[in-house]
Parts: sequence; C-alpha cells; structure tokens
Amino acid sequence: MRRLGAVITSALVIGIGLLTVAGLVVGGDLGWLSAIVEAFRIRDISSIFLQLATITAATTILIGILNLLVVHLRRVGRREKGWGYSLLLVLSALAVIVLAVLERAGVLKGEPALTTILFESVQVSIESALAGLVLFALVFGAYRLMRRGVSWPKLLFVLALLLVLLAALPLSAPGLLTSARDWLLAVPVSAGARGILLGIALATVVTGVRVLIGLDRSYRE
Amino acid sequence: MDGTNQVITILILLLAMAVSVVVTQFIRRRRSLVALRPIPAYQAIPLRVGEAIEGNRPLHVSFGSASLGGDNTLLALASAELFYQAAARAAIGAAPPILTMSDTTAIPLGQDTLRRAYQSRGLLERYPRGQVRWYPAGARSVAFAAALTAMLGDDRVASSVLVGSFGPEVALVAEAAARRDQGVIAASDQLAGQAAAFALSDQPLIGEEIFTAGAYLSESASQVGLVVTLDVLRLLLILGMLIPTALAVGDAILDGRFSAAITRLLGGG
Repeated sequence: MRRLGAVITSALVIGIGLLTVAGLVVGGDLGWLSAIVEAFRIRDISSIFLQLATITAATTILIGILNLLVVHLRRVGRREKGWGYSLLLVLSALAVIVLAVLERAGVLKGEPALTTILFESVQVSIESALAGLVLFALVFGAYRLMRRGVSWPKLLFVLALLLVLLAALPLSAPGLLTSARDWLLAVPVSAGARGILLGIALATVVTGVRVLIGLDRSYRE
Repeated sequence: MDGTNQVITILILLLAMAVSVVVTQFIRRRRSLVALRPIPAYQAIPLRVGEAIEGNRPLHVSFGSASLGGDNTLLALASAELFYQAAARAAIGAAPPILTMSDTTAIPLGQDTLRRAYQSRGLLERYPRGQVRWYPAGARSVAFAAALTAMLGDDRVASSVLVGSFGPEVALVAEAAARRDQGVIAASDQLAGQAAAFALSDQPLIGEEIFTAGAYLSESASQVGLVVTLDVLRLLLILGMLIPTALAVGDAILDGRFSAAITRLLGGG
C-alpha cells in the first residue's frame, strides 16, 4: 500500500512538474510543440498550478504565526532559559495582531496608522542599529580567519578586504588606491562572483531536473 | 521569452535530463569508479553531530530565507537534504536538533524533513515538532539574525550549520557562535552572505557545494550521480565559453581567417 502511495505521489509530482515547465517554457513560435501546448491548453493548466502554489504559500503565514506562538508559549510554560523574552515576544505579537484587526475594522483611526508607526519607529530603527554592527562582525571574521592559520586564499581575502576598506577612506590623494579597488572589483571579484553564480545556477538546474524526472524523490516517503 | 530563448531553455533542460539519467544509471552500476573529492565542511558535519550528542546539546541548522515557491525553491530542497542527513544522525541524541528559517513556506518542508529523519531511525514517537522554528525576517533579515544570536545562547547550541539564503547579516550569527565557542559551517546563495560565511565559518562551503550534501553525507549512488552530472555539465559549460572565446581571439589575430579555416576544416563553406 505504501509502495503504491509512493508511485502515485511520484507520478503526480513528475506529471504536474513537466506540465508546468511545458506551459512556462513553450511559447507561440515553436511549431508543432506550440500546437500541442495550445491544443491541450497546457498554459492554462500550468497557470492554475502556479496560482495554487501562490495560495498555498500565502496560507503558510498562518502556520508561521502559530509556530512562533506555540514555540514561545512552550518556552514560557517550561520556564526555559530566556522565557521572559519569549513572553515579551508573545505579548508583542498578540498586541500587534489586535491593533491591526482594530485598524482594519475602523475602530482605530489616524494617519499614519499605529502599526505603521510601530513598524517604522521601533522595528526599522532597531534593525538599522543592528545592521551597523555587521561591519564589526565582518572585521572580527577577517581576524578569526587569519588566526585559524594563514593560507594563500585567506591572505588574498584579507588583503582584498583591506584594499577595499582603505580605498573607501576620504583621503586627499587616493588615486592609486581607488584605481586598484576599481580594477579589483571590475575584474577578479566580478569574475569570481560570476563563477559562483554560474555554479549555483547549474546546480539549481540539475536539482530541478532530477526532481522533475523522479531521480530525487524525498517527497514520496 | 522569444523563440531563440525558448529553444535554448528547452535544449538546456533536455541536456540536463539526458546527462542526469545516463550518469545516474552509470553510477548505480559502477559506484566504485567514482571517488568524491573531500570537502572539509562535509567531513566536519558528522563530527559536529557526534560532539553535540556527547555534550547533550542540540545541533542547529538554518535555511535562512530559502523558501518554497520562490527563486530559491531548489536551494531550500538542497538545504533540507543537508538537514535530513544531520538530523538523522543527531536523532539518537537526547537533545533534538533545531531547525530555523525566516520564510514560512519552508516550515512544512522543515517539519517533514525532521519527521522523516526520526522515522528513518525508528524513533518517530520522539519526533520533536517544536524544534522547527520560524523567526520573522523583517526588511533586511537582521531581525532573524538577532533572534538566532539569542537562541544560540538560550538553547546552548553545540554547533550551527547555516546553509541556505543569507545576506551579510549571517556574520552576526556566526560571530555570536564564535564568542560562545560553538562551531559554525556556513554558506549562502547570496554573494554578500557567501563572503561573510567564508570569513566566519570554521569550514566554509562555496557555491554549488551546498547542493551536494546528500552525496557526501549519505553516499547513495543517486546522490553521487548529481555530483558527477554537475561535473559533466560544468565541463560542457566551460567548453561552451572557451570555444567562442578561442574563435574570437583567433579571428582578432588572423583578421577573420581563423573561423573561416575552422569552417572549411569541418566541411562547411
């Protein structure tokens, strides 16, 4: 029975996947291939599947909120380390949900809305402050990298970092440094970045194709 | 998408399909012929899991903002495979592994992956559903990073495997882990996040290495097939870039006669 279920799941995933790809990739000027897609209305079917995926993704927001509340209420219930913060998080989440509902119902009025003020004044400010700390974490990272042992790639990484940081300084005669930074960013950094992105793109295509033809079937268990 | 792009896309998909099928069948029959090059991060993960079990502390894996239904759907699947391999090993420990993500669409994927990992060990009754945790990302994922830094201390995490989609804010998490003497393995599909991950990881993963977790941690022939398929396609891609470059350079030096000579050699013109 379980094996039959796995076969049905695989067939569904492969069938729907191939139909969706065909609907997305095959346009109007590919001769007989376009004719088949038109005749079986594969583009419409593909569009329905994509809409279903979008709706399902939207409903996961509710799962997320439930997950957040359950995980942190459990921490509060068990008096785990940091439970006070969890309690604060649950109360804040509930308060914002109530405020948003009251705003939507027209009970709370005012421009800008209270939830917008909360978001822009509290969350964005705190996030910006934290983002400022990223620089220090990165410098610490460069230090840590060299402490673990010096190798050519690590040395190159730190030298490039230093060069870019030095060239960003408002010096009066930065000519050589700025040119070196510009060359570094335009040639080796750009080439390396494209290499990494091409690698990721290739791996994405192969993984996708493997799911489509049923070589990767983690969903069947 | 115009006609040429459609044809190129279909050809790339068909080529990837053909190479995947041929290579995977070949590897299934001749598994011993292929030896994978060692990747330090994948050698370290079983050790990290062992340390976590011995220390009775949880292993932490994070998908970052990798999601289902978006641009990085397949990255989420690859990260889930890595989590499955780590969780299946960590399931026998007293402290269950923790999985975090900032995109809600990855929650069902994470729950299912953790359930399968416990099922694979025959420990389904101990499946800890509360260990899959969603933390909202905010505008720049910094809120997510802040939540993780707090969680690392509160849950006395042994090691973190941050493999998914992260921006430079991954540096905050990795730095917090380093301060607590916790191990970090990190990789991201975003360039800024990858650079930070390279600097702060004990053993970094780079680029497509994220997608090869199954091959290195399970060594199943099908998963090894993915690595070999990637190598074959990478070789074809390199040739695809080198041949036009060689033709262009040759033409520039020989005033256009190089490509004409090649065409004659191949029986054309």
